[in-house]
Amino acid sequence: MSSLLIGEILSLSMFAVVIAALMMGYPVVFTLAGVGFAFGLVGHLFGAFDLSYFNALPLRYWGILNNDVLIAVPLFIYMGVMLERSGIAEDLLRTLGEVFGRLHGGLAFSVILVGSLLAASTGIVGATVTTMALISLPAMLRTGYNKELAAGLIAATGTLAQIIPPSTVLVFLAVIMQTANSQVQLAKGNFTPATLSVGDLFAGAFIPGIILSCLYALWVIFMIIIKRDSAPPMVTQRSPGLYRKVVVALAPTLLLIIAVLGSIIAGVATPTEAASVGAMGAVLLTMVRMIGNALSKRLPEDQVERALFWYWIATVVLLVVLAVTTGANGVLTGSVLMTAAALLFILLRGDTRPVFVKVLTGVAQQSLNLTVMVFVIFLGATVFSLVFTRLGGEAVVGEFLSRMPGGAHGAVFVVMFIVFILGMFLDTFEILFIVVPISAPILLKMDVDPVWLSIMLAVNLQTSYLTPPFGFSLFFLRGVAPPEVTTGHIYRGIVPFVGLQIVCLTIVWIFPQLATWLPTVIYGN
Amino acid sequence: MSDPLSAGTSSAAGAGPQWLRAVADRIDSISGMIGKTVAWLTLATVLICFATVYLRYAMHIGLIWLQELYAWTHVAAITMGAGYVLLKGGFVRVDLLYARMSVRGKAWVDLLGTVFLMMPFLVMMAISGWSFFRQSLAMNEASQQDTGLPWLWLLKGTLVVFVFAVGLQGVSMAARSLATILAPREAKPEKNGSGAVGGA
Repeated sequence: MSSLLIGEILSLSMFAVVIAALMMGYPVVFTLAGVGFAFGLVGHLFGAFDLSYFNALPLRYWGILNNDVLIAVPLFIYMGVMLERSGIAEDLLRTLGEVFGRLHGGLAFSVILVGSLLAASTGIVGATVTTMALISLPAMLRTGYNKELAAGLIAATGTLAQIIPPSTVLVFLAVIMQTANSQVQLAKGNFTPATLSVGDLFAGAFIPGIILSCLYALWVIFMIIIKRDSAPPMVTQRSPGLYRKVVVALAPTLLLIIAVLGSIIAGVATPTEAASVGAMGAVLLTMVRMIGNALSKRLPEDQVERALFWYWIATVVLLVVLAVTTGANGVLTGSVLMTAAALLFILLRGDTRPVFVKVLTGVAQQSLNLTVMVFVIFLGATVFSLVFTRLGGEAVVGEFLSRMPGGAHGAVFVVMFIVFILGMFLDTFEILFIVVPISAPILLKMDVDPVWLSIMLAVNLQTSYLTPPFGFSLFFLRGVAPPEVTTGHIYRGIVPFVGLQIVCLTIVWIFPQLATWLPTVIYGN
Repeated sequence: MSDPLSAGTSSAAGAGPQWLRAVADRIDSISGMIGKTVAWLTLATVLICFATVYLRYAMHIGLIWLQELYAWTHVAAITMGAGYVLLKGGFVRVDLLYARMSVRGKAWVDLLGTVFLMMPFLVMMAISGWSFFRQSLAMNEASQQDTGLPWLWLLKGTLVVFVFAVGLQGVSMAARSLATILAPREAKPEKNGSGAVGGA
C-alpha cells in the first residue's frame, strides 16, 4: 500500500480511536493531544508522517497564546466571573421577576430577558444557568409552572451567553475563520482578501441571538395557549419602591453592555480594549454593591436602596454628560475616579476590606481556571488537527464534502450535521478547535460566506450545551435544581428548545442576510 | 520528595502505599501555591490592559512596552497556571461513563491516561519547546518593536514551564491513582481531581 493511502486510512481511524478514548473519561485535552501524537508516531513508522512537523507546534502555540485578538478572551472571562460574584444576576432575576411575575408566563419572560441581558454583558453559561436555577426555578415551581418547561427554558436561556455578543466562542471563531479565509483567498490568487474581524461576527450574531430569545418567548406563549396553567401568574404583591430596585439592577448592566458592545461594534475600540473596560466596569459594579450591602447593616434598608438608586441615576447622567462634552477622555477619567473612590471606601473599612479581598482572590482563581481550560483545549486540539491534516485527512474530508449533492450547501449541511452530533458528546470549544480548522478552509474554498458560516456554526455549537447525554447546561442545571425536578424532567424539557435551535438554524439558512446584513451595514463591504 | 510527614491528614486513608500519597500531597501543595500566585496575573492583565486604554483614549499616549506587558501576563498565566488547573479538575472530561465508574475504575483511567496519553505528548512538547526556547535565547530575542520589551525568550521559555507544571501534576495524579489501585479493597477511597467547569 502506498504511504498516501495508509495516511488516509490512519487519519480516518484517528476519529474512531479518539472518540473511543474520550468516552473513557480522561481529560479531553490530553486525550486529543495523546491520540494525535500516537497517530503521528504510527504514521511515521509507515512513512506517512514526518515527525519534524511536531517541531512546528511551539510556533503554533505561540501564535495562539500571544495572539492580539485572543487576549480579549481572558478579559471577557474576568468580566463574566466578576459579574457573577457581583450578584447582579440575582438582583435582575428578583426584580424583573416581580415586575412581570403577575402575568401568565411572566417569570418565564423575566428569565429570557435577564438571560439575554447577561449574555450581552458577557455572561458565562455555567454561572447563568446556576443562578437562574437557584433563584427563578424555585419561584417558578412555587407558582406552579410545568416542570419540563421551567427546566428547559432555564437550560436554554443560560446558553444565550454563547451566541449573543460579546462571546468568547465568537472571538475564537473570528480568529480561526480569518486564518482559514486568508489562506483560501491567497490560494485563489486574491492577495488583498477582505479581513474578518471579531466585530463582524459580533454584529453578525446580534440578530440571530435576538431571534433565539424571541423563539424562546414565542414557545412560552404557545405553551400558555395550549395549556393555560403551564406558566401561571405569581400571586404576590409588588414590593414598594420596586422601580428603584429595577433601576439599581438594570442601569449598571445596560451601561456595561453599551460601553463594551457599543464600542466594539461601532469600531471605536478593539475587542481587547473594550473587554478590559468591561472588566473594570464589573469590578466597580461589584464594589458599589458591596458598599451597599455594608451600609444596609447599619442603616435602614430602604434608605440604602434610595441612595443606590440616586447613585446610579447620577452615574448615568454624569457619564452621558461627560461623553457628550469631553468624549472618551471624560468618560474614562470619570470612571477611574469613581472606581478609585469606591476602592478607597472599601479598603478603609474593616468590614468590607476582607470581603473584597476574598472576592478578588476567588475571581482571579476562577478566571485562571476558565482561561487555562479553553486555551489548553486549543493546544491539545492543535496536535490532533495537525496530525490529521498531515496524514492526508484534510484531502479525504475535502473530497468527501465536495461529492455531497447540492454543492456548497450540501457540504455545509454535512458539516453542520456532524457538529450537531458531536455536540451530544463533546464540549463547544473542543468541537470548535477540532472541526472548524479542518472543515472551514474546504467550505470557504466553495465560496461559502465566512460570516454566515461562523454564525451558523456558533448557533450549532451553542446547541451542544443542550443536547443530551453530554450537555453542559443540563449538567449544571441538574447539579443545583431542587429534588422535585428530576433528570427526566430536564431531558424532556430540553427537547423543544433543541427544536427551536434547529428552527433558528433553518431561518438563518434560508435568510443568510440575517447574519450578513448588519456587518455590511456597519463596516461596509 | 517522599517526606513521610507530608502525608499529613490523608494518612488515615488506610494501608495503601503511603509514600505514593505523600508524593502526591507534596506535589499538590506545590501546584496549589504556584496556581494561587499565578492567578493574580489575570487581574494584572485586566489592570495593565485598562491602563493602556486609558493612556491611549484619554491621554493619547501609546506605550508599546505596556501593551506587550499584558500579553506577557496573559501568556504566563496560562503556561504557568495549567498545572494548578489540572489539580483543581478544571479540564473537562466526557464523564458519561467515568461518572459511573468505581473509585478503582476512575483510578485506572487516570493512571493509564496519564502514562499513555499525557506523558508522551508532554515529552514531545518538552523536546520541541526546548529547541524553540533555545533558538530564541541564542539570538537574545526581543520585541520586534523598538520600544518593546526585551528578553522575549523568557516568555517563550514558559512553554517549557508549561510542560513541567502539567507533568508534575500528572505525576501526582498517577501516584494517587496507583495508591488507590494498590490499596486493599476495603480502604477508604481517596478523592481524585475530577469534575467540570463551564465554558466561557
